[in-house]
Amino acid sequence: MDFTLSEEHQMFRSMFRDFAQKEVAPLAQTTDHEEKPPLEILKKMAEQGFLGATFPEKYGGSELDNLGYCFLMEEMAGACMSTALTLHVHLGLAGNTILREGTEAQKEKYLPDMAEGTKLGAFALTEPEAGSDAAAIRTVAVKKGDEYILTGNKLWVTNAGIADIFIVFAKTDPQAGARGISAFIVEKSFPGFKVGRRERLLGLRGVVCNPIYLEECRVPAENLLGQEGEGFKIAMRALDYARLGTAAMCLGLAEAALREGSRYATERSQFGGPIALKQAIQNYVAESAIKIEALRHLVEYTAWLADKGERFTKEAAMAKAFGGEIVRWVADRMLQVHGGYGYMREYTIERIYRDARALSIIEGTTEIQRFIVASDIFSGYGLKIKP
Amino acid sequence: MRVIVPIKQIRDPRGVKADPRRQQVTLEEAELVINPTDRNALEEALVLKDKLGAKVTVISIGGPEVEDSIREAWACGADEGILLSDELLAKADFRGAALALAKAIQKLGDFDLIIAGAMAADTCQGQLGPRLAAALDIPCVNDVYRILEVSGGKARVIRGWDEKFLEVEVELPAVLCIAPGANVPRLPHGARIMNSYQWEMPVWKASDLGLSEEDLRPGVEERGLSFPPERVRGRVSRGSPEDLARELVSFLRERHLI
Ligand SMILES: Cc1cc2nc3c(=O)[nH]c(=O)nc-3n(C[C@H](O)[C@H](O)[C@H](O)COP(=O)(O)OP(=O)(O)OC[C@H]3O[C@@H](n4cnc5c(N)ncnc54)[C@H](O)[C@@H]3O)c2cc1C
Repeated sequence: MDFTLSEEHQMFRSMFRDFAQKEVAPLAQTTDHEEKPPLEILKKMAEQGFLGATFPEKYGGSELDNLGYCFLMEEMAGACMSTALTLHVHLGLAGNTILREGTEAQKEKYLPDMAEGTKLGAFALTEPEAGSDAAAIRTVAVKKGDEYILTGNKLWVTNAGIADIFIVFAKTDPQAGARGISAFIVEKSFPGFKVGRRERLLGLRGVVCNPIYLEECRVPAENLLGQEGEGFKIAMRALDYARLGTAAMCLGLAEAALREGSRYATERSQFGGPIALKQAIQNYVAESAIKIEALRHLVEYTAWLADKGERFTKEAAMAKAFGGEIVRWVADRMLQVHGGYGYMREYTIERIYRDARALSIIEGTTEIQRFIVASDIFSGYGLKIKP
Repeated sequence: MRVIVPIKQIRDPRGVKADPRRQQVTLEEAELVINPTDRNALEEALVLKDKLGAKVTVISIGGPEVEDSIREAWACGADEGILLSDELLAKADFRGAALALAKAIQKLGDFDLIIAGAMAADTCQGQLGPRLAAALDIPCVNDVYRILEVSGGKARVIRGWDEKFLEVEVELPAVLCIAPGANVPRLPHGARIMNSYQWEMPVWKASDLGLSEEDLRPGVEERGLSFPPERVRGRVSRGSPEDLARELVSFLRERHLI
């Protein structure tokens, strides 16, 4: 066993870190307080090659593998979680799904624009009546000539207000359950496509999250992603990879919380000395560091599995569940270390605390991740469990 | 047009720990990075590449670990890199390093500009650029903040001069020493990072440069390191401007400063 990183990975990581510190972190508070989507940063990210980082060179990418993608997400989340999620949905969910499932023509049409940042991506699966139970979606797609006509509503579509390219899941066979779902690449400009009012969120305030309405939206048949009926599998594969990226965001955000808390503890004095000298505070810091280190190993191990082309569904679910929970734990304790100041909007830890909360909901709740882990375990005993 | 950028790999000063009580400096934990001002120099060279199609060659001296820094410079956009490395070169001081670089540059053939960082953040000597110019017998402009124009065998630049800025013209080939913070250096680009280990890096030894042990013998002997004395705390005075002025004058007199 060898934990050494390749030289390229090291260079990527230090480049991501430099970029995060120089370009992203200084704007994090304004992005949050003014609820501004991080468009300027995205432009710089495009120049730096982030927006298509995982694509092959011919589409303007740098063929970043899963481990490299985790480093990218970790560093961005450590600087600004809103920015990280915006990038993640564009690249990790939308871009990578086209890359993985698309035809050559679809890739040529969409990926270079996505890498350049002239078009941003989004991923529309969830509906008002279908969250965890994604197979229950009601949006339908009816084939008419060389078009599909899509009708239905999608909820909480991250990036909807700023994106041009949407991966939309709809039922081509409403009677067939999960096997009746198909995936489509839908452009904002297609007739019948509408973006609803931006949602107001507890945290992640730079994230633009809206419902979308498909009112007999006309989608060319060539924009079907994969085959008819493969949509659910495509969504689940996309989420496997995405959860790994999200676990890496949990890691970056938890590390940022620990940095804030540790620094504060050395600077704040009570009872004649820094509060870092109090064992209660030391325990919070140590326990946070232990959890973070455990998460890091789980994330990197899962990325390693994915890069070797092995199954990693269970590990990604574990990393996402664990990550979502420990980032909340760490953010909470580090806010506690800040005392009353931690409750003030001027302090970074306040933002981290709010942002952290979303991570055990998005891309499948903690409960659903546990189901995935349990179902994998019980399948080893020949028992098939249902959510 | 060929631009040469000598770079130095140093320990990231932000990671260096100093313990004045034990008179100890711990370097080993700090990351190896390209000297920040050399990054500024590289940036100026890359701007010339973008604008005028200059070919940018990076040269560095050191052990095998320095290869990573040269490859990073390549990932930022440099066209080629050369490592000068062997036991003799490892012992060289400023004079020896400048001599080796000068020989390597001569070996490369024609060039128009050498753009160097004005100072290394570890030793803070600022000797390399001027020494290189002397060894090659070409002009040198120090403390350069901006390169305005390179054309017709000349470069026009803005340099610092006695707390002012001065526009100067210099004949090429020349050495320009870039001031720290003169620009915001670009980061390596993802697509280039991916390929940064795919090319063969030439490694030249002292003998390839026609240098002997005698040529590289250090002229400076290091006797040890010591910490500067601890700074005495300042004193804050309050009062009317007249009182303060009086107090200040007598304070300076007491210390024979005026
Ligand atoms: C900020 C934000 C951004 C989002 N971005 C996107 C996006 O870009 N694209 C997209 O498609 N969706 C997005 N979502 C939606 C997100 O994926 C869903 O919120 C999530 O899957 C949960 O669905 P739900 O909200 O309908 O909750 P529900 O499914 O209604 O769940 C409610 C509660 O019941 C629990 N529960 C449900 N079923 C079970 C079960 N079988 N066993 C145990 N417990 C269960 C859940 O864990 C949860 O605690 C986003 C959500 C948020 C908050």
